[in-house]
Amino acid sequence: MANGYAGKILKVDLTTKTIGEIPTSQYEQWGGGHGMGSAIFWDLCEDPTVDGTDPKNVVTIMAGPLSGTLASGAAGRTEVQGIGLQSMPRGWFTRSNFGGRFSTHLKYAGWDGIVILGKSDKQVWLNIVDGKVTLEDATSLWGLDTHATQQKIWASVLGAPPAGNWDTLGTTRDSGRSTQRPAVLSAGPNAEKFGPWASLVHDGGNGAGQGGFGGVFASKNLKAVSVLGTGGIEVADPNALMQARTWLMGYAVAGNWDNQGKNVAGNWPLPANPGTASSFPKGTALRPQGCAGCVRMCRCRSDKIMGNDSMCVDFFTTAGATPEVTVVWTDLMQKLGLNAFNLVGLFPWLRGLVAEGAIGKGKAIDSSLPFEQMTSVAFGVDLMNSIVNQTDIGKDLALGLWQCAQKWGRLDKDLATGMLPLQEWGYVHHYDGRTEAEWGYGCLLGDRDINEHDFNWICYWTPTIWAAYGMTPLVTAQRMAEIMSKQMIPYSDEPNLIDYSDAGIYSETMAKTTAWHRHYTRYYKQALGFCDWNWADFVNPYGPDFVGATSIGEPKFFNAVTGKNQTFAEGMEIGRKIWNLDRAVWILQGRTRDMEVFSDYMYDVAATAKTPGIPYEMPYTMPVFENGAWSYKSVAGRKLDRQKVEDFKTLFFKLEGWDTKTGWPTRKTLEDLGLKNVADKLQGAGKLGAA
Amino acid sequence: MMACSLVHHGQVNYSLSRIQITQNSFAAFPNDISMAMCRQCPFPACVEVCPTGACHVDTANGNVRTVDEAKCIGCERCVAACPFTPSRAIWNGADKHAQKCDLCADTPFWNEKGGPGGKQACATVCAMKAISFTKDVPVQGADTGYNVDLGSTSKVWQGFGFNVG
Repeated sequence: MANGYAGKILKVDLTTKTIGEIPTSQYEQWGGGHGMGSAIFWDLCEDPTVDGTDPKNVVTIMAGPLSGTLASGAAGRTEVQGIGLQSMPRGWFTRSNFGGRFSTHLKYAGWDGIVILGKSDKQVWLNIVDGKVTLEDATSLWGLDTHATQQKIWASVLGAPPAGNWDTLGTTRDSGRSTQRPAVLSAGPNAEKFGPWASLVHDGGNGAGQGGFGGVFASKNLKAVSVLGTGGIEVADPNALMQARTWLMGYAVAGNWDNQGKNVAGNWPLPANPGTASSFPKGTALRPQGCAGCVRMCRCRSDKIMGNDSMCVDFFTTAGATPEVTVVWTDLMQKLGLNAFNLVGLFPWLRGLVAEGAIGKGKAIDSSLPFEQMTSVAFGVDLMNSIVNQTDIGKDLALGLWQCAQKWGRLDKDLATGMLPLQEWGYVHHYDGRTEAEWGYGCLLGDRDINEHDFNWICYWTPTIWAAYGMTPLVTAQRMAEIMSKQMIPYSDEPNLIDYSDAGIYSETMAKTTAWHRHYTRYYKQALGFCDWNWADFVNPYGPDFVGATSIGEPKFFNAVTGKNQTFAEGMEIGRKIWNLDRAVWILQGRTRDMEVFSDYMYDVAATAKTPGIPYEMPYTMPVFENGAWSYKSVAGRKLDRQKVEDFKTLFFKLEGWDTKTGWPTRKTLEDLGLKNVADKLQGAGKLGAA
Repeated sequence: MMACSLVHHGQVNYSLSRIQITQNSFAAFPNDISMAMCRQCPFPACVEVCPTGACHVDTANGNVRTVDEAKCIGCERCVAACPFTPSRAIWNGADKHAQKCDLCADTPFWNEKGGPGGKQACATVCAMKAISFTKDVPVQGADTGYNVDLGSTSKVWQGFGFNVG
């Protein structure tokens, strides 16, 4: 059927070693990606309260209808879900995703996703070549890094190292040919030893970094998944898809080569995020590179190999490290399969401990690491190896940052000052909820650091860079607010959705912004795969009157591929449904409203972009609506008010149709979303929200 | 690759694409990406070896070298004869015929005029303007004639601050 779907989802039971199929049609209402993953997890996970290392954990690796197509920024992403190992006080049902070419090959192999159940009695890797699916011995791969693992698997699948020619997969001349290398997703060496830190890496540096999914894989005795597809995916309206593609190129440098200087603030929408390109040593020859189907090309390939496919935070481990040092660290981080964000949070903590005299040879926290040269190659290499091999302080660090701090008796103290920058749920502070409120709230009311920059690019970075460099804003704050309100269906009648003033961040309007963000990201970004580096496209210098592609572009691509006639509003409603389903899982896992508090530093320490010492943050200038007028204003120095955050939560719960006492969805809310079965299960567990 | 297969076959399918791009994340730029497009050879071996005239020079479409699928008997001599690796003439195992780049002369799934005088899907969708149609025949017999480093010769790319070696 020409609708962008392959038609079946692969189901692998590692315990029984059985390979099965789930018809995609059973889950098509959820879109793809995260929507399907959550619904499948709901159906197949017997007990979501188990630890992430329990064989009952269900892992989904999902593509969507747009994967492998020309839908820019959506074609290349793959969504991974399951009970994670990273968050505290417990591993929430969580998500990560990664780019590259994995979901493309999965679709071309004939699969819309992979569901992994159980635990293998032997170390294995999953080998998918079109419809042929086998479990292979991974004993010789288990201790290898992610890059070596992938290259060994390439040779295994193709019968020899790739030679750049047509390979025939199968035994007949028509059984499928390809020039491509298999797309492989791998955990690091012996990832069970550093599970909460362990990422999954595809190609050079496409990482499902947060959540500890490398550790989850290892707990199942699964090292890697390899997929090679020689088939194809029929598209409902190929001409419309081509037109959509060229239309969207008009919103990027891709379609504006003679006018490339027009960028909002030196960041968007250039190829290869300048922060990435400038992370390489001077004299390195680079090309921009992108995931399958993208028009943005946010990464690089270098003539030094190190740093290939990595980008942004992969390179921002700590301030003060030169590019010559950084690329070595980045390369090793990807090979070892370590969560880049954990490293970003670790360095300010270590610096603080050193300054206190609390860590070092013979100190309270005894360590032989060379703290006197923290920006040297040797320090980063030794630090990362200590975590992977559980030596020196790595033995405790490997437990997870929160767990380590708890073991060292420093958790409460260091969260109170922000010296250990875990903003919520044990996840490293990425952007500041004291200033960029929708970011903080989205993390707090969800399961992890959101890593969704939809508002961040436009409402934080853009005005901040304008202010910091004395640039004339391309759009006024009022115009920005007008543009974005119109796009934020179904809340378009609200004019103040991006009011980040001291009052605005606790308002019902901010509750709507936060809700919009959760719903949009659940569907468009995580279920359909629209990439965070390309979408949402709110304000765009190439758009008519600076209006970006969002609310028009997403349905344009979806409908061209699937043949449906889905509106943006309908997609947002599916996102609300997915969000409510996820909420139900967290509730079964034990979530209560009183758990949803930020670390103490968020309430007690002023936001200065120095506390915590996240290396890329700059003091926050954001749009505010005060005294009847819009402006861009510095909101640095703010702290959150505990009671006001609680009151905000009440507003948010009310808006979402959840019990304001508990934060649990009500039966009406769930049934209106077609989730009666979810309401029944919550009721059975005594956790259904009261009306 | 996606655009090529899409406009010719109505599906996205790397294996049906008449332009092949292979990537190796573990190789150093510029060897991390290999681009294999048909060179529309002045003396096309694929046309010469075809026993039925399926692979032919299409004089109605600017002399593009292309395969008349109805005449193809599936001998794959064109695939073997192509002097380049991977072969630019490719085998369509689903529909059982050879096919090759026709400069989009025949794209039933795209409402644009193709062929040498028209648009090519690959060039249209390329976000980096890396692909273009040229009538200046580059040096044959090696890759050197086609390794045009658009990066270092492009003001735009240099304007991004890229060191291109």
